[in-house]
Amino acid sequence: MSVFTILYRNIKWRFHNSFTIIVTILQPLLWLVLYSAVASQTMQGTGIVNYTGFILPGLIILVSFSACSSGGIMNYMMKADGSFYRILIAPVRRTSIVLGQLLEAVLCTFLEVFIMGAISLLFSVEIAADIGAILLAILLVFLGAFFISGMAYGISLILPNEVVYETVMNAIVLPLFFLSTALFPAGGMDGILGVIVNLNPFTHIINALRSLLLNGTLATRELLFVFILYLVMGGISFSWALHRLNRETAL
Amino acid sequence: MYAIEVNKVVKKYKNGVQALDRLSLSVQKGQIFSLLGQNGAGKSTLIRILTTYLQPTAGEVTMLGKDIYSEAAAIRSEIACVSQHISIDTHLSLEENMIFQSRLYKIPKAAAQKRMEKLIADFDLSKYRKYPVSSYSGGVKRRLDIALNMMSNPHILFLDEPTVGMDIQSRMAMWDMMRKIRDDFGTTIFLTTHYLEEADQLSDAICIMKGGKEAIQGSPDTLKSILRQSVIQVKFADSKDAQKYLPLLQQHQPAQTFSIRNASVLCNSSDEHPSMADLMSFLLEYHIPLLGIEILQPTLEDVFLRLTQDGREGCA
Repeated sequence: MSVFTILYRNIKWRFHNSFTIIVTILQPLLWLVLYSAVASQTMQGTGIVNYTGFILPGLIILVSFSACSSGGIMNYMMKADGSFYRILIAPVRRTSIVLGQLLEAVLCTFLEVFIMGAISLLFSVEIAADIGAILLAILLVFLGAFFISGMAYGISLILPNEVVYETVMNAIVLPLFFLSTALFPAGGMDGILGVIVNLNPFTHIINALRSLLLNGTLATRELLFVFILYLVMGGISFSWALHRLNRETAL
Repeated sequence: MYAIEVNKVVKKYKNGVQALDRLSLSVQKGQIFSLLGQNGAGKSTLIRILTTYLQPTAGEVTMLGKDIYSEAAAIRSEIACVSQHISIDTHLSLEENMIFQSRLYKIPKAAAQKRMEKLIADFDLSKYRKYPVSSYSGGVKRRLDIALNMMSNPHILFLDEPTVGMDIQSRMAMWDMMRKIRDDFGTTIFLTTHYLEEADQLSDAICIMKGGKEAIQGSPDTLKSILRQSVIQVKFADSKDAQKYLPLLQQHQPAQTFSIRNASVLCNSSDEHPSMADLMSFLLEYHIPLLGIEILQPTLEDVFLRLTQDGREGCA
């Protein structure tokens, strides 16, 4: 029950600070609308029919990063206004505090993904997925966002202030985004770059989402791999966030 | 029964700073207990330990009969803390803030609604219900902060410098509120303050901390009496007269310490009544022109300054 109490409060915070939704979705939207229009001409020989549709899964992950990073900012604001301390001395389990906050970031991610998905339809993106594939894609987005929000939560409890936090998050997000298959297919890549792209866990979730949304299918083996990978990563991320919260009081 | 018992508590932070050094104190149920001390004396660390935010390095802490190490979760439902900085959520309305607090403490919905109405009435917050919390003045925000911390009907309420930055009217209103919380709700109040007058007016018991440990604990009157020294004040018409007659007084009572404050000569005496009688007869006999003579009792400020001065630590 306490999870929902924390979640409800954080949702209220999000809508009270609705500019955080606009700010976090703005950059992925610009990529979707402007970059795809410009780059689609240079991608004509690669066999990609609709480049906007091709980059949509990568931008779903990018918007997850943005929304979940802003969840970390909430910790700094709560520390500044004293409610962080008030909640920690209330009879609420630490797991509920972390989970409530992570789920808010995940819900914000879904809202922004929904907006992006709706806008992408205006750019002739054809979603070939049936209801089953869409449900699987939703589950994947949930797992991805949960992992990212856990990492963002933990990082926000390590770094001293919002400015350093934003800088570090940007330094993490952009290399992960560019060294994945978000903007181009991995087929032609070899050497060290190909290895790095293949080791990037976001490559696999982007590929899986792309296959589910644009083709409506995904091989069971690949699907299981991505699910297990993100279940494990989500578990580690949540445990780490919880560990960082416990460290807050172990001074 | 004691609400709080602290026995030889040590807190050494991981960065090496020792904030508490074998501190011991006890707070009786239903008291207003004030913790005084200079900046860095360890007050905030103690509050953070008592509110279960930090764990002590060593020592024993019992709150309402429960051990703080093993029963922290149970203690949390029985305490609340109003921090020095207002901790209300400005994105929530007045009612939402109070309901959120009640949910954190798992108060049933009907009971929470009833309690909220009572607190809104008792803390005179009715007229602010319709306005956004962010538009409230500092005093109203502070009232709401205390009211929402009372939603869980805590047995112990911690108030960390609750009147800092308030004007005198707001401060006096806050004092009334604290007495009301003690008397009407039966809540034990543990407060830290820098205002000695506030501690003197409000407290049933006071502890003065110095260097991470208690320098003294007792009622305000007990604390004042520990100086066992009163001051005899001889008032003159002006400071020139005070300067003029000081040597005569010193000559007459060489065993006492004399000093000048404005137009008065002050005599520190451990035995005020015989000294005063003797001084009066001396002043009358020599026709020394004075405006008056009186015994000044030590104030809490005198006690605080005496106990917190370096190298002059005392304990009763």
